[in-house]
This record gives sequence, structure tokens and C-alpha cells, in this order.
Amino acid sequence: MQPVISIRNLSKRYAGGHEALKHVSLDIRRGEIFALLGPNGAGKTTLISIVCGIVTPSAGTVEADGHDIVRDYRAARTRIGLVPQELHTDAFEPVWSTVAFSRGLFGKPSDSAKIEQILRDLSLWDKRKAKIKELSGGMKRRVMIAKALAHEPDILFLDEPTAGVDVELRRDMWALVRRLRDSGVTIILTTHYIEEAEEMADRVGVISKGELILVEEKHALMRKLGRKRLTLNLAEPMETVPEGLSEWDLTLSDDRSELRYEFDANAERTGVPSLLRRMSDLGIGFKDLATEQSSLEDIFVSLTSDRRERAA
Amino acid sequence: MSVGSFNHRGVWAIYRFEMYRFLRTIWTGLATPVITTSLYFVVFGSAIGSRMSDIGGVDYGAFIVPGLMMLSLFNESIFNASFGIHMPRFLGTIYEPLSAPLSPFEIVLGYVGAAVTKATSVALVILATATLFVDIAILHPGWMLAFLVLVATTFCLFGFIVGIWAKGFEQLQIIPMLIVTPLTFLGGAFYSIEVLPEPWRTITLFNPVVYLISGFRWTFYGSADVGVGVSLAATFAFLLLCLATIWWIFRTGYRLKS
Ligand SMILES: Nc1ncnc2c1ncn2[C@@H]1O[C@H](COP(=O)(O)OP(=O)(O)O)[C@@H](O)[C@H]1O
Ligand SMILES: [Mg+2]
Repeated sequence: MQPVISIRNLSKRYAGGHEALKHVSLDIRRGEIFALLGPNGAGKTTLISIVCGIVTPSAGTVEADGHDIVRDYRAARTRIGLVPQELHTDAFEPVWSTVAFSRGLFGKPSDSAKIEQILRDLSLWDKRKAKIKELSGGMKRRVMIAKALAHEPDILFLDEPTAGVDVELRRDMWALVRRLRDSGVTIILTTHYIEEAEEMADRVGVISKGELILVEEKHALMRKLGRKRLTLNLAEPMETVPEGLSEWDLTLSDDRSELRYEFDANAERTGVPSLLRRMSDLGIGFKDLATEQSSLEDIFVSLTSDRRERAA
Repeated sequence: MSVGSFNHRGVWAIYRFEMYRFLRTIWTGLATPVITTSLYFVVFGSAIGSRMSDIGGVDYGAFIVPGLMMLSLFNESIFNASFGIHMPRFLGTIYEPLSAPLSPFEIVLGYVGAAVTKATSVALVILATATLFVDIAILHPGWMLAFLVLVATTFCLFGFIVGIWAKGFEQLQIIPMLIVTPLTFLGGAFYSIEVLPEPWRTITLFNPVVYLISGFRWTFYGSADVGVGVSLAATFAFLLLCLATIWWIFRTGYRLKS
């Protein structure tokens, strides 16, 4: 099936010289929820802004539903809705008018029934006459979503939809995103919470320092993210990992005082009990042990170093 | 909307949005020019005008009306157009028109079209107020309106550029205050440049505003300091310069897109 968004070799260098995106290529499948996961400053907003026409790319191409976003921008943009990261609103506008305005901007004929439905879906109907400045932060974000949906886009970009949002609203937001997907909208959201990607996405792309380091089915990624590390603080430093422990993928710290073992915490057999038994059989003592979950940082580090090794 | 077609609904959405903002403050928006005009007549018309002779057969009070209208038209055009585009930049709401299926021409048409409407309305309100004080006969009403819209369009385009160039609200005020108002006062708004001694008369001819005011006054009284053709040519030249600048702004994304 033709991808609904096709990004090829996209690069962005800002006027200051900062390279925010480096040769990013990515296909988004029709009807999926795609999470773009990455720390602050990774280039998520830049990527979204280019696709939506707010930032000019330095190199590369993007097609939305087969339409080039530069040459054929009208057709491309008609299909796309954007909820930006920041809550940019006209404080004095009533909710209804600001949503109707968005629909008009995208060239759609006015349709009160449609707008009513969008406002009801977002629990904004009671607030339709309220001025935006009278609304809470969470409500404002709903208004932004209503504006993005007003022209009935097939593709919706949500830039950090749950940043700074309370738990309840976050659940609501997730439910809303699922309903939208069920109605056939393709959704691309950005986040820096692993849990959010885990909860929501069908596929996840990890972006770091302007590079898309991997794109994977959520389940495959979660297996990677489920890795833990066992650190054994040895009673006696050792020169090399003994022959008898070669079954396990162990590494010795540089000062030779620690043995490290990475394992999949979700697996049936983690290999930890058998390793400890074998060590005691071999008479290798340890003073202390600790396990830690690999953090998003660790995963970025290991993914980027993997890439570098492969490239080398 | 079919591909490549004119997005008239998008233009209308911007135009309506801008006009609503104007209508929300319509009373202050119109009271200001009415009061200012009345004051001009009390001071210039009655106090000074009674001691001034006619200028080229036109009563002094009537003579200053086109200049007063132009003065307001310049300021209102620049203010409304620059504010109209600067505000969404300042608020960040500009992301929406930029991500909508609108061509640069359509965006400019929406914002500048609304600013032209507002500025022209204010100028006409001034004309209406002036008729309460003096008798005014307009020799070429069609040309008068055409001239009004042409000059408003030109200065609104200029204001649009100022609104994109400005980094803050102070910079928004600088251009009208430092350039336009002085040039207008020195541009024969309240006197005929005929009365100036040399070399001031020749120097004044380098002030573009002279041509606009003179041309506009011609539509009222049929007499002008400089030729009407020259006035029109000067206005069109400035209009084209503004259009070229805006074309460049959208091409390079200058202060609109990074
Ligand atoms: N308009 C801009 N001008 C210069 N640098 C920018 C601009 N916008 C973003 N950047 C830089 O580009 C990098 C990526 O930013 P961004 O795309 O906002 O990241 P994210 O959304 O992943 O947090 C950051 O280092 C940021 O400072
Ligand atoms: Mg961001």
C-alpha cells in the first residue's frame, strides 16, 4: 500500500547553522498511529513543521498522499491537520468562531453540523460561546485539536499532545486519539515519554540529534526497551571473563572490578539465577549486586553506537 | 476546493477575522478620527482659517480636507496592516495560515484587504465629519474613491511589510512616527507648496507624499500642485515596490518561516 506520508532524505539547517535534521527518511502507513519518540531538541517539532509547511526544508522531499508538499502544497495541506506543541490562540475569540475560522482557512464550506460534532466529541460543546482566554490549559489544548480537525483532515499531527497535561486529561487524549484512528485518520504524535509511545503507538520512530535512529513496530521496540542490566561488584578483580561463564554475554568493567550482564526482563528465562548459581559453583564471590532498567538515554546511546559500529 | 484553484473561503476567513476585530472596537476606532478632525477644524478652520485667504479659489477649511483624509489614510493603513500581520506572529497563531492551503497572494489579500477596508472607512468618516464644518464639493467622486483605495492599498502593503519586519510593538510605531507623519506635514497637507519660497519648494518635490496629497486634492477641486499623471505614476511605482518586497518575503520566508 502506498504510504500516506513519504519523507525522503530530509535535512534542515537553521539560519544559525544548527543542523536540526540529518537525512531523515520515513514512511507513515495509512491509518496507523505513529509515535516519534525523542528527547528535547531532537528535531521532532522541526520534522512536523516541515511536513506542515511552516518550516522550509534545506534538502529532501516530502509527499502527503502522493502530493509533494512544496510543488503541490494545496492538495497536500488540505489533507493535513496540525496541533502544535505550544498553545497559540486568539484569547478573545469564542471557541465556535475560532474553529469555524480554521475550517474556512482550509477552503471548506461552512458546516455547523460538522463543527457541532467536533465540539461535542471533544467535550467542548458547553464552552462553544466561551472566549478562549477563559478556558483552562487542558481545554485550550482541546480547542487546538478541534481547530486541527475542523477541515476533516486524513492525517493529524499532534506535537507533544500530553506535555504538561494532568493524568486524567492524558487518558482522555489517548482515548480520543484511538477514536480518531478508528475513524480512519492517520496520526503522527511526538512525545518524550516512552510510556506514551508504548500506550498509544502502532509503530515508533526514535529520533536523536536530528537523526532517525530506528523505526520499529511498537512490540519489537518494547522488547528492546525491556532490557535490564545486572551489575555484580566482584570480591576479587579478575583479568578476563572466565571460560565457565561464556554462556552468558558478560562484560568486564575497565577497572576489572565489575561484571555486567544485560538481559531481557520480559523473557521467560532471564538467565540471572543460573548465572549466580554457576558463579558460586566456580567460587567467584561478589560483594554487592544491582539491577537497573535501561533508560531512554541508555537506549539512545546504545542505538547510536550500534549504528556507528555498523557504519564503520 | 480543487487543486490549484483560488481558495476564496480561506481569504474570506482571514478578512472576516480581521474585520471582526475592527468591529469589536468600532466606537473607539471611529470616535478618534471624528474628534481629531473636529479639533483640526476648530483650530485650523476657524481660528487660523478665518485669517487665511482662499487657496486657488478654495476656502481654506475645505482646502485642508483632502490633506486631513490622506494623513489619516496613511496612518490607519500602516497601523491596521502592520498590526494585522504582526499580531499572529507575536501570538504564534500565524502557524495556521502558513499551514493552510493558501498562496502568499491569498494571505496578503485577506490581511491587506481588511486593512484597506478599515483605513478607507476611517477616511470617509473624516470626510463626513468635515462636511459638518465646511461646504465640500467633490469634482471627480469616482476618481476620489479610486485614489483613496489605491493609496490605501499601497500603504497597507507597506504596513504589511512593516508588520513582518518589526521585532516588537515599538518597532511597529517607529515607521509611521519617524517617517510618515513628518513627510505628511511637510507634504502640503495644510498648505499649497506654491506658497513655499525656493529652495524649499524644489526640495519638497522630493517628498513622495506631495504627489499623493496633490493628486487627491485634484479629485476634489480640479487643481493640483503637480500633475495628476505624475501623482498616479508615483503611487503605482511605490505599490509595485511594495509588491516586489512582499514577493521576496514569501519566497525567502523572511521572518515568517525559518
Ligand atoms: N527557529 C529555529 N532557529 C534555530 N534553531 C532552532 C529553531 N527551531 C528549533 N531549533 C533548534 O533545532 C533543534 C531541534 O528543535 P526541535 O525540532 O524543536 O526539537 P524537539 O521538538 O524534538 O524538542 C534544537 O536544538 C533547537 O534549538
Ligand atoms: Mg518539540
